[in-house]
Amino acid sequence: MSEMQSVENMVSIKIDGVEYKAKEGEYILNAARANDIFIPAICYLTRCSPTLACRICLVEADGKQVYSCNAKVKEGMEITTTTPNILEERRAIMEVYDVNHPLQCGVCDQSGECELQNYTLELEVDSQSYSIPDTKRETKNWSSVLHYDAGLCIVCERCTTVCKDMIGDAAIKTTKRGGAALDKSLRGNMPKDAYAMWNKLQKSIIAPSNGTENTDCSDCGECVAVCPVGALVSRDFQYTTNAWDLKRIPATCAHCSSGCQIYYETKPTSISDRTEKIYRVTNEWNYVSLCGAGRFGYDFENRVESKDTKAFANAITAFNKAKVINFTSVITNEEALMLQTLKEKKGIKLINREARAFQIFLDFYSKASGNSLYTTDFKEVMKSDFVMSLGTSLRNDNPNARYAFNNVQKMNKGAGIYFHPVGDTLVPTFGRTIEVFNHKVGYEEAVLLLIIELFADKDKLPNSVKEQLDRAKLVEALGGDSAKFEKSFDKMMKKKEKFSLIVGEDLYFHQKAENIAKLIAVLENCSDIKVAMIPPKTNSLGVALICDLDDEADGFTIGYNASGDFRLSALGDGDLDMPAMNQQEGTLTNMHKRVTPTNAGLDYHGYTLNDIMKEVLSAPTHTIDWTPLLPTDKGFKAIDFDSLPNGYSNDGTENRGYLLDTSTVEVGDIEVNKFDDSIALDGEIAYRCNPQRQFSDFTDKAHQIFEEFALYASPKKAESLGKRVVVEFDNGNLELDVKVDDRMAGDIVAIPDFKSAENIYELFGASRYQKVIIREV
Amino acid sequence: MGLEKFKDRNVGTQNYIKLDLTHPPKDGWSKFKQVLSRAVQPELFVGLWVTLREMNNALFRGKMHTTQYPLEKLPISPRYRAIHDMLRLLESGHYRCIGCGLCEKICISNCISMDTRYDENQRKEVSEYTINFGRCIFCGYCAEVCPELAIVHGGRYENASEQRASFSLFEDMLTPIDNLNLQQEYQGFGAISPNADDNIKKTPLAY
Amino acid sequence: MDATILPEVTAVGVIIKAVLILAVISAIAGFGTYIERKVLAFMQRRLGPQHVGPYGLLQLAADGIKLFTKEDIIPQHANKIIFSVAPAITAATAFIALAAVPVFPDFTIPFVDVFVPSIASDVNVGILFVLGMMAAGLYGPLLAGMAQSNKWGIIGSARTAIQFLSYEVVTGLSLLAPIMMVGSLSFVDFNDYQSDGTWLVVYQPVAFVLFLIAGYAETNRTPFDLLEHEAEIVSGYVTEYSGMRWGMFFIGEYANMITIGVIASVVFLGGYNDWWIFAGWFMILAKIAFSFFFMLWVRAAWPHVRPDQLMWLCWKVLMPLAVINVVITGLVMMAG
Ligand code: SF4
Ligand code: SF4
Ligand code: SF4
Ligand code: SF4
Ligand code: SF4
Ligand code: FES
Repeated sequence: MSEMQSVENMVSIKIDGVEYKAKEGEYILNAARANDIFIPAICYLTRCSPTLACRICLVEADGKQVYSCNAKVKEGMEITTTTPNILEERRAIMEVYDVNHPLQCGVCDQSGECELQNYTLELEVDSQSYSIPDTKRETKNWSSVLHYDAGLCIVCERCTTVCKDMIGDAAIKTTKRGGAALDKSLRGNMPKDAYAMWNKLQKSIIAPSNGTENTDCSDCGECVAVCPVGALVSRDFQYTTNAWDLKRIPATCAHCSSGCQIYYETKPTSISDRTEKIYRVTNEWNYVSLCGAGRFGYDFENRVESKDTKAFANAITAFNKAKVINFTSVITNEEALMLQTLKEKKGIKLINREARAFQIFLDFYSKASGNSLYTTDFKEVMKSDFVMSLGTSLRNDNPNARYAFNNVQKMNKGAGIYFHPVGDTLVPTFGRTIEVFNHKVGYEEAVLLLIIELFADKDKLPNSVKEQLDRAKLVEALGGDSAKFEKSFDKMMKKKEKFSLIVGEDLYFHQKAENIAKLIAVLENCSDIKVAMIPPKTNSLGVALICDLDDEADGFTIGYNASGDFRLSALGDGDLDMPAMNQQEGTLTNMHKRVTPTNAGLDYHGYTLNDIMKEVLSAPTHTIDWTPLLPTDKGFKAIDFDSLPNGYSNDGTENRGYLLDTSTVEVGDIEVNKFDDSIALDGEIAYRCNPQRQFSDFTDKAHQIFEEFALYASPKKAESLGKRVVVEFDNGNLELDVKVDDRMAGDIVAIPDFKSAENIYELFGASRYQKVIIREV
Repeated sequence: MGLEKFKDRNVGTQNYIKLDLTHPPKDGWSKFKQVLSRAVQPELFVGLWVTLREMNNALFRGKMHTTQYPLEKLPISPRYRAIHDMLRLLESGHYRCIGCGLCEKICISNCISMDTRYDENQRKEVSEYTINFGRCIFCGYCAEVCPELAIVHGGRYENASEQRASFSLFEDMLTPIDNLNLQQEYQGFGAISPNADDNIKKTPLAY
Repeated sequence: MDATILPEVTAVGVIIKAVLILAVISAIAGFGTYIERKVLAFMQRRLGPQHVGPYGLLQLAADGIKLFTKEDIIPQHANKIIFSVAPAITAATAFIALAAVPVFPDFTIPFVDVFVPSIASDVNVGILFVLGMMAAGLYGPLLAGMAQSNKWGIIGSARTAIQFLSYEVVTGLSLLAPIMMVGSLSFVDFNDYQSDGTWLVVYQPVAFVLFLIAGYAETNRTPFDLLEHEAEIVSGYVTEYSGMRWGMFFIGEYANMITIGVIASVVFLGGYNDWWIFAGWFMILAKIAFSFFFMLWVRAAWPHVRPDQLMWLCWKVLMPLAVINVVITGLVMMAG
């Protein structure tokens, strides 16, 4: 980060007479925060657009009163954070916020971490000068997780802003509430900004933007997180505890490869049951946005009260005769290293399908490009202004990839192209300049050729690529209208500087993975586009880097959270219990190429993999003693677990763990194969894809994740399929309920893989798409 | 008003009698004088007289001090801090506690524990509440912090029991509903000061 | 009194007398604890024991039952024999001392015609015997404290040694002057010496005061209760005792209090001579009772002294005064 700062232009500004450095083009508020200077601000969210709802962030810049969340710094700017007039405004604003605000801090869930309380005290509001008749404001349950208490809402619009600018759902908006009109005489008689704020506040309230009583959204709970007061809370959490009773444990979300920073907040279950329980998950919402799985899918712990010595003895026997270990990517780097050690010392083969596919793909890519790892990360993608996505169901596969795609549109006046066979109605709503190509399954190479054609420096291209480029033909092949596309592409390209491409799992599970990897390498070599890859599952990147995975193996198999002859399971259904991710310490490698530490939110009293290692080979005392042993030749660093930081600084710098070291070597020319459409699929196609908020057995175990294991289809398709169907694959059948996903479009149906017991990977084999026959039952 | 006044913890005046120890006798003669004066002073007999007088007072003038405890009880101050009471609202009979958890937080012996939930009437309900009297030190902080004047100290001080840690549940401490008319406001720690009205600013209500 | 009128002292009489003393003094000692508690209570305007029996009189019985039934504990590292015997030494010496002291007037049991003397054994060196016996009582606390392997016990016995030995000197010297005047060591002679109604205290006020002070020290009473002062050394030499063994120390202490009362009455306060309209037996009882009461009174009124003050008082004040007193008495007698 420090390296990046020096790259960006710095300007010097003066705040309250003291000189500071700030990034050029940064908002005054953020510049002040980065320099540890406090300016009150309620409605502003870092990484989202300013809404000017609260107006409390007033400062004086070069003699003029401006809103610091909305005014950018300039070289030599002189800023005063408080003047008598500003103080008067701020106090009046807080008084106005307190008018008719229910006096229920005693029971309010926000109590103790309420910004309304804090600022009321900060600005020493000890009397009230304003009054107005109140209107009845109803409390509502917006969805299975959201509870909205309109009475407490101060209409700061943080919830609507985050939902639009970050999440992309735009599921809530401000609407009229029919409050009493302000007395006209107030206009000249009270501070100006306070009056304007009040005028708006009195008229508005928040409601689902689809006009119904219920939100139609991904239930991520970010609105709950950002709400400064107790207006938005999770239904499950409401009134169960006070914020101050909770113990905050910094951790890393274990559900997908975003590896978001989270806190597990724990407290004893009840008076009679003193075992700790996770009450909620919170995050540093200014710098990281969670999805519904991370926020609500936290109670997947494996409660084990004592060590089962018999099962342990069996496990040792099993390990001693094991030939194969079958495992998933929901595993820490340390555990992956243990498995790798078993492989090295005892020749046990390691099987992990999704990580293996990713490993092979990464291998192809680095052989072709010379880069040890993909070149950008999603933080950088967020800073680009032209973003494309290929080979991933943006809405389902990785929430943070989607947030980045959306955020680029909203914040950077960006443009985007979404390439995917499965139709999606949400992605086009992210911005005005978004093109969608619902291409045929198997046409991923054509997509890359089109991108190369659009962005690459033609002179640098190898001949094998150059001869395949024909823009119009490619557009048509991908199902677009070339004339229309030309026009909109011109519009999209206006004032664009930074380009990025997100690629996902479809490409790793692809017959032509090698050729695709080469095309990506060519694209990067010959254009400004940076490519970010989404690892398929939680720690697939870590596993791919640490373990020497095998393709096939047989013999006595140990399954770790996966099938096998002897099963270690953190789900509590195996032959030996293992701690779940919220009971473990260790590190995870996320898609931002960052190795982040996670801590145990809850106690675990059984055996761990390290205990088995101690018996079978030899091992240090604790699992985290493996952390500094992670392979440095793969980019890991020899740093002790306990010295890994886990947080953010005031300027948004991420201080979590460390970034993987990457390297680049010189490579020769890249030879690519000719695109051949014979592998394209036609007819009834099933796509291996999880519903939002579901990633694995662990999210499924959590009581607030309701998405079922079913066949998901667009409304039209679902209607034609009926209620319950049998899906016939080449190598087996599956009987499933049909669920409507009203944001899907087209005929391809989605079949989830989050239930490991259903062996979905077996059915789909080496591809995410399969031709199937679907019959109603 | 400055904070100095509150920071001065040295409240009250101490009435210590300081002995004059500055002049111990030095030479033999003054030591002898000291011995002599101490020997001659009739202080010992004063002591004898006082005890005899008190015996007389006790036996013949009805000035016996003893309260025969289980049969007679001294009145206790309304500020006395014994086993807690949970008060009810006089108007509705509903318990006053709103489940804010401040008492649980402030308790320095960590002996209060409570469970709350979202109830059918969309209110916060105290589903369970206990005080572990094996740990409570009767400091009164809970009564002081309670914003609802719900938890107060009562006068029940006879709490010898076979178990050191006997727990009290919400129901045990709550004013029985049929005794609501006997419920008394607490005067001790945390009670409203007599001049409370003068100390608050009122919210304008005219519209 | 004419000696020839007296019937012969028989062995049966002496034994009856001994049993009588043992029974009565033990009972009185027990009763003394009740009195002590009551008197102290009244002086502090309390009620004292009052729930067992009328006015709490049966408290005595309750205590007795308690003492007899209480578990008798001998500490693990104690010297068991000495530990067990020590209380007996205290009690025994206290009662043996009473053998040479006149308790109750003579009487003859009717019908069987057994004469019971007022003194169980009228040895002609009665005073010497009593003093000697009381001095021997030193062994009780001394051994008890040393045998119990307890640091408080050890300190208790150390204090026993210095306190008893030191004050023995004062007792002896203070009694020397009256002995010189009477010229005998027999209590009967002392009594007879004062039969004219003039008490020896009139001639020997200094000796009387010295004797009282030393007597308090030797009976381990406030203000000289250093041997078992609970504010300093838990319970001193009785720290580890419980039950009846502890009770024996108590009985010994109370018996000694009575002995001191008797000596003071006989030697200084006119003995069992009739006085005014009061009979001799009443007079002696009244005097002993008052001296007992005075001990309680003192306990209620006065604080106790420190060990160093105790020694200072003994060797620098009381002992010189006693010697001077003896010398002056001698000079006056020679002049007279
Ligand atoms: S939102 Fe804040 S100010 Fe309002 S009741 Fe809750 S804690 Fe109090
Ligand atoms: S619900 Fe919360 S975040 Fe949304 S406008 Fe109201 S106060 Fe702001
Ligand atoms: S599931 Fe992924 S996106 Fe959601 S909170 Fe967890 S790490 Fe972040
Ligand atoms: S009196 Fe003090 S110790 Fe007892 S419950 Fe209240 S706060 Fe806790
Ligand atoms: S402080 Fe009072 S209102 Fe709050 S939980 Fe305790 S008893 Fe209830
Ligand atoms: S923070 Fe700037 S207007 Fe609200």
